[in-house]
Amino acid sequence: MNHATKKWIVLKISSIALIPLMLWTITSLVSVYDQGYSSVVNFFTSVPNACLFSSFLIFAYLFFAITISEIFEDYIHNEKLKNLATRAFYLFAIIVPVITILSIYKLN
Amino acid sequence: MYEKNPLSPHLQIYKWQISSLLSITHRIVGVVNIAAITLISFFVIFLMCGEQYYGMVNTFLQSFFGKFIMVGLSWSFSFHVLNELRHLLWDIGFGYDLKTSRITGAITIVGSFVLAIVIFLIGKNFI
Repeated sequence: MNHATKKWIVLKISSIALIPLMLWTITSLVSVYDQGYSSVVNFFTSVPNACLFSSFLIFAYLFFAITISEIFEDYIHNEKLKNLATRAFYLFAIIVPVITILSIYKLN
Repeated sequence: MYEKNPLSPHLQIYKWQISSLLSITHRIVGVVNIAAITLISFFVIFLMCGEQYYGMVNTFLQSFFGKFIMVGLSWSFSFHVLNELRHLLWDIGFGYDLKTSRITGAITIVGSFVLAIVIFLIGKNFI
């Protein structure tokens, strides 16, 4: 299996996983966004919500890392700049969810 | 020579139609969504600072702008989910002909607004 095929399969798996996770995330956020500190913390630290939100972050950053790199592919002419932007975004897509997930478990 | 080749998707060349409108909107909404997800991540990290710093954020979120952002996000997430479903249907070989493609495109546009309203109503009243 070549690299492009693997990338496409990962993209489709993350896309399928994201459909229910995005709907759950946005509905849940609508229910808590204007609540007080303790309600918001309770929401993010309850075990099912923490698991679902962590899964959402992993799949979302995985999905967007692949799709945003395609956007770079289409719009950035300079090869060096394109590679730099893609690698920087991949790094960003690893660091942000990891720190966020660790923060959720620290909030407990 | 290669460096001077035009890059896709040639927005300034093609005549606008529902397929191109949805394609470019999908990309723009995707970028908006990842920016929003990053802000949500920073919001979660910010919760670690404690309750004393939360007041200002809470005041903003309870304002008209806070509600506007959440309504906007409900739409952008809804649009992305519905258009992604359309892409998945294409992947299994459904909806390639022009007529079906236009119909599913129209369903995506109208459906994204309906789904955003449903999400907001469920989030505010039933959870």
